Amino acid sequence: MSPVRIALNATLLLLIFVIQETLISPARLPLSGFSLYLAVLLSLVLLENRTGAVILGFVGGLILDLSPSSNAPFGQWALILTGVAYVIAVNAESIDEIVSRPVGLGLFVASGASLALILFLILGSLLGESAGSFGRATIVISGNFFWTMLITPFFMPLLLTIREVTIGARERI
Amino acid sequence: MARGGGNRSRLLLVILLVTSLFFITLDLRGVQVTKGSRSATQSFLAPVQKGVSDIFTPVGRFFSDIKDFPNQKNQIANLESENAKLKTQVLVNKDIKGQLAQLKGVLDLAGRGGYKVVSARVIGHGSSSAFSQTFTIDAGSSDGAAVDKTVIAAHGLVGVVKSVEAHSAIVLLMSDPAFKVGVRIARNQSIGVLSGTGGNSFSLQLLDPAGDIEKGDVLFTNGSDNNRPFIPGVPVGVVTSVDHSSSTLTQTASVKSYTDLNNVGVISVVMSAPSTLPRSIINPTPAPTVIVYVTPTPSPTSSGSPSPSLSPSVTPTPKKAKP
Repeated sequence: MSPVRIALNATLLLLIFVIQETLISPARLPLSGFSLYLAVLLSLVLLENRTGAVILGFVGGLILDLSPSSNAPFGQWALILTGVAYVIAVNAESIDEIVSRPVGLGLFVASGASLALILFLILGSLLGESAGSFGRATIVISGNFFWTMLITPFFMPLLLTIREVTIGARERI
Repeated sequence: MARGGGNRSRLLLVILLVTSLFFITLDLRGVQVTKGSRSATQSFLAPVQKGVSDIFTPVGRFFSDIKDFPNQKNQIANLESENAKLKTQVLVNKDIKGQLAQLKGVLDLAGRGGYKVVSARVIGHGSSSAFSQTFTIDAGSSDGAAVDKTVIAAHGLVGVVKSVEAHSAIVLLMSDPAFKVGVRIARNQSIGVLSGTGGNSFSLQLLDPAGDIEKGDVLFTNGSDNNRPFIPGVPVGVVTSVDHSSSTLTQTASVKSYTDLNNVGVISVVMSAPSTLPRSIINPTPAPTVIVYVTPTPSPTSSGSPSPSLSPSVTPTPKKAKP
């Protein structure tokens, strides 16, 4: 993954982060809404090899750590998303052409997002943060799973187009 | 899809995980570099959030009006009947108002309130996926807002200022699981701790093992040292159910807040509370004392021997001087 593409992906993620914080979070959607940011980030991770996925996960996590509404220590999302990105990249290698299967893609990204949220909760508990009742956490995670599965196939073509435009000749080989 | 990896990716993974752990350690040790990055993000996001809020709030209201369209007729009928009741109530209130004006002169009810506040608009909500409940408001340090100031709405407590920038601030809502506030029960002045649960209900735990809670008990903030983060006397909520299980030393209860946190648009940051309680000297007016004098007076009898009898004479003091 070239430094230019890391910068481009980071810019795209920053834009999604602003959309998430300003438009989606205040919308108060049913089932506690969803994280468009996580969905886009994990979809981008799917398109990369292991090295690219790990870098993207780390950069994406750092951007999410910037969220002023977060109570978590800085670096918690970076730690989790680096690990989850690696897991996704390793597992995606065993599924051929997952990006061209809308249901499989939605399920894969939604599972990754849920895994990230569960790890965030577990690590948060270890660091002494309180995240509310078990029921509330279940609603947030399952709501996020549902919404992510629903929306991922819709923005994936756009991400593929952006990737085609930005990818260098050396990386294409 | 590009494939690749191996030892290089595993090495990179380890390096980045260690870097993340380094950041977490720095943050938990209170290093200002990481805290500054969040403040910078907030400074950047606040104007964007304000702009988006200005644009999309009318759109959101339009759609919510459409969604509620079937309920509008019932709502109008209910409001009309409520209006008729209120008109009757206004007439009754005129009589009560006169009585209240007299009572007000006797009792100093002005001890409550008198807070100095800065009002602000809610321009953003925290992301639910971060498991935290926050508002972003359009008042900041330039308006006088500061960290650990109490935030109230029309009906009572909302939360506390968590972080502040020049023109915006983040408010930690009372529904956040990390939120705790000392409260007292209006009925018996028992004190306890109210905690957020992440949802619309709240958990109350009394501090006194002998204290008791009843359904319908009204809760007020108990106040903090130097009124930070909480000023005393702010309405918090009402007890909806009491947990009678004997698993805890003290009683616990569920509480419903007076403020509907899902529908708060304007809030106030309390800048200062009254510095002293009303402590005027009370001079009790003495009630008239009745003194009974008993003097023996001789009364004639058939045997001719005098026998004492009691004839009381009552002297009330103090006496009013006749003109």
